[in-house]
Amino acid sequence: MAANGQNGENLRELFGKFFGADESEEATEDIRKGERILDEHGAPEPDSELLADVKAEISRALLVRKSNAFRRGFYKTAAVAAVVIIAAVISVKLSDRGTSERREIATASVIPAAIWESDDIAVDDAELGTFVGEIEELEGDVLALELGENGGNGYEAIEELEVELEEIEGVFWKG
Amino acid sequence: MAESDDLGRIVAGCKEGDGESFSQLVDIYAGRCYGYFYRLTGSKETSDDLLGELFVKLVEKIGRYRGGSFNGWLFKIASNVFHDYLRDKQRQKRLLDGRKEQLESEYGRRQEDDRADGLQTALWKLDTDTRELIMLRFYSQASFKEIAAMRSEPIGTTLSKVHRGLKKLRKLME
Repeated sequence: MAANGQNGENLRELFGKFFGADESEEATEDIRKGERILDEHGAPEPDSELLADVKAEISRALLVRKSNAFRRGFYKTAAVAAVVIIAAVISVKLSDRGTSERREIATASVIPAAIWESDDIAVDDAELGTFVGEIEELEGDVLALELGENGGNGYEAIEELEVELEEIEGVFWKG
Repeated sequence: MAESDDLGRIVAGCKEGDGESFSQLVDIYAGRCYGYFYRLTGSKETSDDLLGELFVKLVEKIGRYRGGSFNGWLFKIASNVFHDYLRDKQRQKRLLDGRKEQLESEYGRRQEDDRADGLQTALWKLDTDTRELIMLRFYSQASFKEIAAMRSEPIGTTLSKVHRGLKKLRKLME
């Protein structure tokens, strides 16, 4: 009598931990006979059309996964680049002022971890769309600062930038 | 199936998003997973849908596979897919309670059509949990230890349920 089950596990030994010798022998035999019935009555097999459909569904799911990964990578790069530019311009402007006055500059955490980890593409799209809009607005402010379009009042422009960054940090990204 | 180097390579390919590797995985597992769904639902149509759902879930979740028995991991997802289906069916039943009689009559006819073989009829006489456990054991080919871990229950409980279930099934088939 076969005492080994699937994966080569020793059923008699396994049952032996819970039952006496006779009972474990009987239980092993019950399992063996029961599984033989299942072997003898095979279930229907999936047809080739179904398998082709499943493979096509997988291809579609993979495409979504790849485009999602690409888009996330793109936005991440854009976000990092925007923050680096903003930080660099603010640093330059502050050092240009050459004063001993030190102020803290607000910084915004760029994209919350929840978006990177989320699988909800529709919601991500909406949030990332808003995010791109915010970056464009900030870039416009930075450009104005560089060109002195605010009448040469760099301090005021930096304050405005700080307010915008604080809004992003405190309101938008935290929902 | 033994967890061979080949399977390891296929799974690694899947994790990198390689379509051909997923295709190989379908060829290896579709038959067993389909049998598992068919024996639990008694319907080819439902099994077709659940098989598709399972493999799409696999694409979404493969990055979270961290080694160990791939069989066990895959059939855990299959079990979740089946439970989602059961929940959905129960929800629909509640929503359409007004049409209960009509639905039951339609459902009964469909089940009768699909439960053509004696084994399917006998399986439906077991309770849902025992039926699922026996099918999980048979189609996943996982050890009792793995199945107990999948179901988060003591191995003695798993052994006892499978033993009683198979014994009852044998009597029903006699």
